[in-house]
Amino acid sequence: MSEILLKINGLHASIGDKEILKGIDLEIRKGEIHAVMGPNGAGKSTLSSVLTGKPQYEVTAGSIEFDGRDLLAMSPEERSWAGIFMSFQYPVEIPGVSITNFMKTAVNSRRKAEGLEPMKGAEFLKLLREKMAFVKMKPEFAKREVNVGFSGGEKKRNEIFQMAMLDPTLSILDETDSGLDVDALKIVADGVNSLKSPDKASIIITHYHKLLEYVAPDVVHVLKDGRIVRTGGRELIDVIESQGFDKF
Amino acid sequence: MKEYRRIYVVDSPESLPEDHIVLGAGEKASVTFLVFPGVSVDIPVAVDFTGEGAEVSLRGIYVCKGGEKVNIRTDVRHNVPGCVSDQLVNGIAAGDAHVTFNGKIVVAHGAQKTQAYQSNHNVVLSASAKVDTKPQLEIYADDVKCSHGATVGSLNEDEQFYMRSRGIPEAEAKVLQMISFLAPVLDDIEDASRKEELSAKVEEAIRSIL
Repeated sequence: MSEILLKINGLHASIGDKEILKGIDLEIRKGEIHAVMGPNGAGKSTLSSVLTGKPQYEVTAGSIEFDGRDLLAMSPEERSWAGIFMSFQYPVEIPGVSITNFMKTAVNSRRKAEGLEPMKGAEFLKLLREKMAFVKMKPEFAKREVNVGFSGGEKKRNEIFQMAMLDPTLSILDETDSGLDVDALKIVADGVNSLKSPDKASIIITHYHKLLEYVAPDVVHVLKDGRIVRTGGRELIDVIESQGFDKF
Repeated sequence: MKEYRRIYVVDSPESLPEDHIVLGAGEKASVTFLVFPGVSVDIPVAVDFTGEGAEVSLRGIYVCKGGEKVNIRTDVRHNVPGCVSDQLVNGIAAGDAHVTFNGKIVVAHGAQKTQAYQSNHNVVLSASAKVDTKPQLEIYADDVKCSHGATVGSLNEDEQFYMRSRGIPEAEAKVLQMISFLAPVLDDIEDASRKEELSAKVEEAIRSIL
C-alpha cells in the first residue's frame, strides 16, 4: 500500500453556531482518487473549505495531517505551497486583476516561499500558454480579468487551468461538474486524469455521478448530515444513481 | 478651443488653490488628483459649463495611512445643454484618517441632454478610519442622464481567500485588491509613461500603509 497523504481524524467543524461536520474520519493514500458524494447540505463544501483553510469555518475538534504536517496550523497560502489545490464551486471574480498577473503572483509567491528566484518572464509565458492550450482556453483569456464576465463553463475551465499551473499534490474538486456541458466536463476530467500519478491524489466532491463517468474513483464515500455514513468502491455510485441518498 | 489637462500630485502638506474651470462650447477638460499618505489637504474643484458640447472628466485617488484629514469638494454646474461631466474618486483610508467627499452637481433649468455621472468608492482598512461621502445632485431639467454612486466598505474577504488558496500571501492579496480598486481612476491618463510612473507611485503608497 502506498503512503498516506491525507489523514482526517474525528473532525468537527462549525460556521457561526451551527455544527456542520460531526466527526469525519478519512484517509487518502498517494495515487488514489476519492469521491465524496452526498445530498445538498451534507457538509461537502464545508469539508473542502476546512481543508483549504477558509477563515469563516471553525474546527472545534479533530485533526488533519497532510504529508505528515499539521494542516490546521497552516494558513491557506501555506497549504497551497504544500501542494493543496481546490477548484472552487463558485470561482470568485477579481476585477482589475488579469489572469496573467494573478497566476504570475501565485507561481512566484510559492517560489519565494521555497527560496527560489521569480520565474523568468519568457519561461512563465511559455508555461501559461501550454496550460491554457491544455484546457482549451483561448489565448486572449490571459489578459482578461479573473473570472469577470466568464460563463459558468469558462470559470470552471479557468479553475482547471490554475490547477494545471500549480501542479498540486492533492487536488480537491468542489462540485466542479455542476452546470457543465459534456465538452467542458471532458476537459475537467482530462485535467484530473492528467494529474493522476503515484505520488498525488484527488478528492472529487459531488452530489451527482456525471464527472465520475469520466474519472474513475478508487474509493467512494457517502457524506450525510456531517458524517461519512458509507465507504466503498465504484459500485456505490450506481447504488446512489438508482436509489438516491435516502437509503444510507 | 482649449484642451485643459491637469494632474495634481499631492505628496507634501499643502492646500491646493481652488481649481475653477470654465468651459465654453466644445471644450474639454480633465483633472486628476492623487493624494498620498501623510498629507492633509483640501481639494476644491469647480467646473462651470458656459457653452454647449463641452466635457469634463474629474478623477481622484487618495491613500491615507492615519492622522490625515482630506476634504474633497467637487462642484459641477451644467448651466447649458448638451455637456458631459464624469467624476470618479476612489480612495483607501487606514489608521484614523478622516476623509470627506462632497460632490455637487447642478443641472440648470433648460440644460437638456446633460450627462452627469459621479462615483465615489471608499475602502476603510481599520475601524477608526472615517469616510463621509455626500453626493448632492440638483437637477432642474427633465431630459438628462445623471447617475451617482457612493460606497464605503472593506476589502472583499472572498477575493482574498481565493487568492490565498492559490498561494498568494494575505498581504500581497490585499495589495492586488487595492491596486485593482484604484487602477481605473488612472485609465484616462493618455501619456503612457506618466501613467506608468503614477501607477508605480500609487502601488508604493498602498504597500506603505499595510
